[in-house]
Amino acid sequence: MPAILLIEDDPLVRRGLELALSRHGHDIRAAETGEDGLREFSSATPDLVVLDLMLPGIDGIQVCRRIREAGEVPVIILTARGDDFDVVEGLAAGADDYVIKPVQPTVLDARIRAVLRRSDSAPDGVRVHGELRIDTAALTVTVRDTPVPLTPTELRLLLTVSQSAGQVFSRQQLLEAVWEHDYLGDSRLVDNCVQRLRAKIEQDAAAPRYVQTVRGFGYRFGPL
Amino acid sequence: MSWTLRPRGLRARLVVAFVLVTVAGATAAAWSSARSASTALVTSNQQRLTASTADQLAAITPELSYPPDQAALDRIRIAVGENTLVTFRGMQSADGAAGLVPGTLRTAVQEQRQMVAQRITAEGKPWLLIGTPIMTTAVNGSRTPSGIEVYSVRDLTAVEQEIDSLTRTAVATSALALLPAVFLALLAARSVLRPVRDLRDTARRLADGDLSARTAPQGADELAALTDTVNEMAASLQDSMVTMQRMQSDARRFAADVSHELRTPLSTLTAVVEVLAGTTAGMEPDARESAELAVTETERLVRLVEDLMEVSRFDAGTAGLRLEETNLADAVRDCLRARNWLDQVDLVAADNVVLRCDRRRLDVIVANLVGNAFRHGEPPVLVRISVTQEEAAVEVTDNGPGLSEMVLPHVFDRFYKADAARTRTPGSGLGLAIALENARLHSGDLTASNNAHGGARFTLLLPRGLEKL
Amino acid sequence: MRTLVALLGVLTLAGCGIQPSGVSDGGEAPTGLATGPTLYFVDASQHLVAQPRQGGRLGTIADAIALLLSGPGGTGKLHTEITAGEVTRTDVAISPGVIEVRLPLTVDDVTSLGIDQLVCTTLAVHIQSGGSRNVKVRLVFTLATPESDRLRTCPLIS
Repeated sequence: MPAILLIEDDPLVRRGLELALSRHGHDIRAAETGEDGLREFSSATPDLVVLDLMLPGIDGIQVCRRIREAGEVPVIILTARGDDFDVVEGLAAGADDYVIKPVQPTVLDARIRAVLRRSDSAPDGVRVHGELRIDTAALTVTVRDTPVPLTPTELRLLLTVSQSAGQVFSRQQLLEAVWEHDYLGDSRLVDNCVQRLRAKIEQDAAAPRYVQTVRGFGYRFGPL
Repeated sequence: MSWTLRPRGLRARLVVAFVLVTVAGATAAAWSSARSASTALVTSNQQRLTASTADQLAAITPELSYPPDQAALDRIRIAVGENTLVTFRGMQSADGAAGLVPGTLRTAVQEQRQMVAQRITAEGKPWLLIGTPIMTTAVNGSRTPSGIEVYSVRDLTAVEQEIDSLTRTAVATSALALLPAVFLALLAARSVLRPVRDLRDTARRLADGDLSARTAPQGADELAALTDTVNEMAASLQDSMVTMQRMQSDARRFAADVSHELRTPLSTLTAVVEVLAGTTAGMEPDARESAELAVTETERLVRLVEDLMEVSRFDAGTAGLRLEETNLADAVRDCLRARNWLDQVDLVAADNVVLRCDRRRLDVIVANLVGNAFRHGEPPVLVRISVTQEEAAVEVTDNGPGLSEMVLPHVFDRFYKADAARTRTPGSGLGLAIALENARLHSGDLTASNNAHGGARFTLLLPRGLEKL
Repeated sequence: MRTLVALLGVLTLAGCGIQPSGVSDGGEAPTGLATGPTLYFVDASQHLVAQPRQGGRLGTIADAIALLLSGPGGTGKLHTEITAGEVTRTDVAISPGVIEVRLPLTVDDVTSLGIDQLVCTTLAVHIQSGGSRNVKVRLVFTLATPESDRLRTCPLIS
C-alpha cells in the first residue's frame, strides 16, 4: 500500500481526495500548507507526493524543489488548466507528472500507479553501456561504479530506451510507455525527464552519449 | 474656350474664381484709365487743332483785303495748311482731302456762326473736321459773318496710334496681373482649404476606428464651429466605446471569475461522487438513481466550467498555441478512437498530411464537430481530410436534416441551441464557439454549410505554413 | 461667369481707337476782316467823329495811327487836334488789358481831344480785329511826362 502525501490547502478538496484515493487503496496523509507538507514529508517518508501548486505560504513550486533536493520521491502536481506557466515551472522543479483540477480520482490513481511503477518489463540482468551499468533486477544504476539515485520515472525512461539501444522513440511513444498517458499527453514531460536523467548519468549534459536527441522525432539510446 | 471642362475640386474652383475676379478687376481698371486717357488725348488734340486754326486765321485776317479776291482766299488756305477749303460766296479755294467736309458741317457753320468741330472716320483713318466762318466786327463790338468760311481737315492717325499703344499697355497690364493673381489665389485657397483638409483627415481616421483623432479648431468661423462639432461627436463616441468596452470586459472577467471559483467545489464534488457511485450497490433504487444523477450532472458541470474557462481565456487573449509536427490523419484517427467513434465514422484521409498544430486544440475541434454530427445529424458521418499547397481541410458531414437558414448564421454563437425542443442536449452550448476560436488561433477558419443532398457540413481549414511560435 | 467674360470683351473692344462724333462747338470764330480801319477826327463843334476809311483791309493799329497822323483829308469838315511831324511810325505793344502805343510825339503836340483821337482809333482797330472792348490804352510820348503813364479809355467806346 503506497504511502501518499497530499498537500492541498482547501480543506474540502483535501478531504474529498483523501476519501477517494483511500478507496483506491492508498495510504493518504494530508497537509494543509507547504510548511506542514515538508515537515510531514521528512517525518513520514512517503512513496509519492500529490502537490497542489496554489498554496499559501511557500508555494507548490518551492515545495517541489525541496522534495527533489531531499531525494527521489516522485511528485505529481495539481494545477488548473491554462495555467501553463505553472506546468512549465513545476516540471522544471522536478515534478514527474501533472493533473488538471478538477481531477477524477480514477485518473489520479492511474497516474500515481504509473509514476510509482519502476519497471514494466521482465528483468533481464545487467546491461552495461560504456561506463553506465544498469541492473534491471535490482533496479540500480551506476556510472563509473558510482550509484546514481533515480526517480522511478527516470529509471523507467532509462530502462525503456536502453532496452532497444539505437531505436528511436517518439515522445508520444515514451509518454505512453513510461507515463501511461493517452494520445494527448504532454511531450514536455518527456523533455523534462530526459533533461534530469542526463544531468545524472551523462558526463556532459550538453553533449549526451546515452540518451541522444533525434531532431524532429524524439530520443534514442546510443549508439556509443 | 470649352465650358464642358468645368473645374471640379474646391481648390480649382476657388483659384479660377479668384483669378477671374482679379483679372476682371485689373482689366476694368486698365480699360477705364486707358479710356479716360484716350478721351483726354482726343479732346486736347481737338482743342489744340481748333485753337491753332483760329490763331492762324486771326493772325492773317487784318492783312486781308475785303471783300476778298481769289488770291486772298488762297492766302487763307495756305495759312491754315493743307487739306483746307475756303469759300466766299461763289468762290472757293481747296486742296487735298478738303472734299471730306460734309454738308452737315457747312450748315452748322452757317447756322451757329462760330467754330465747330467733328470727328469722322473716312478712308480707314480718323479725321478731325474744323469749320469756321470768319467774322467782321464793328467798332461797337457787334459781329457779322464776313461770308468767308474756312474748313480744315486734320489727320488724327498719330493720335489714334498713341491711343492704341495706351490700349496695348492696358491689355499687357491686365495680362501681367494674371500671374500674381494665380499665385495669390493658390495662397488664399491653401489657407482656406487647409482646415478643410485637416477636418477630412480627422473624419477619415475616425471612420477607420481611431477615435482619438481630433482637429484643433482655428479661428471662429463656420469651419471652426464644424470642427468643434466633429470633435464633440468623436469625444462622445469615444466615451461610449470606452464604457462599452469596460462593461464587456467586466462581464468577461465576471464569467472567468465565476468559473474559477466554481472549480474548487467542483474538485471536491468530482472526488466524492466517485466514492458515492462506488457505493450504490447496496442502496435502495431511489438513492441509487439519485447518486447516479449526481455523478452525471457533476461531470456535466465540470465540462461546462471547463468550456467557460476556455472561452474566458480566448476572450482575455491568454489562450496559447503549442505547435507540434502532427500527422493530421493520425491525429483525427486518435481522436475518434479515444471516443470509440472509429466504427461509426467514415474517415477518408490523405495520409502523410503533416502540419504544425496544437494537438489538444485540434482534438477539441474534431471531437466537437463529430460529436455534433452524431447529436444533431444522422449517420453515416463522414470525415474527409484533403490538402492543398497552402492549407489542410478537415470536412465533417452528416446525413441529417442539415442546418436551417435561420440557424446557419448563429451556429457558432455561444449557448445557441438549434433545436429548442431537445431539452437535454448534452453539450455545454459552447462547443462550436470554442472550436471556431481554436481554428482562428491557428490562423485558420471554421465554416458551416449544407450538403447538396442535405445534411450539415463543417469545414475546418488549417494553414500549413505555421512557424514555431 | 459667361456674362462677366462677355462684358470684359465688350469693354476691351470699346477701348480701341477714336470714335467718330457729331458736330461740336469749337469756340469763337476768328474775325478781323474789314473794308478799312475807323479813324477819329474832330468836327467844327469840337466833337469827336468816326471816319471809316475804305482801305480794302483793316490793317494794324500802327497802320491806323499812321493814317490818323496824316490828317483827315480833303473835305474840310473835320480837323485833327494832333500836330503831326514827318514821322508817322509808332510802336504798338499789346499785353493783357493794356495796349501801349509809342508815339513819335510829345505831349505838347496833342490836345486832350487829340489824345482821345489816338485812343479811340487804337481801340477801334483792336476791337475790329477781334480784341476785347475792356482794354486800356497807354500813350507813350517821346519826352518824359506823367501823361505817358496814364491808362486811357475812349469816350465813344465804352
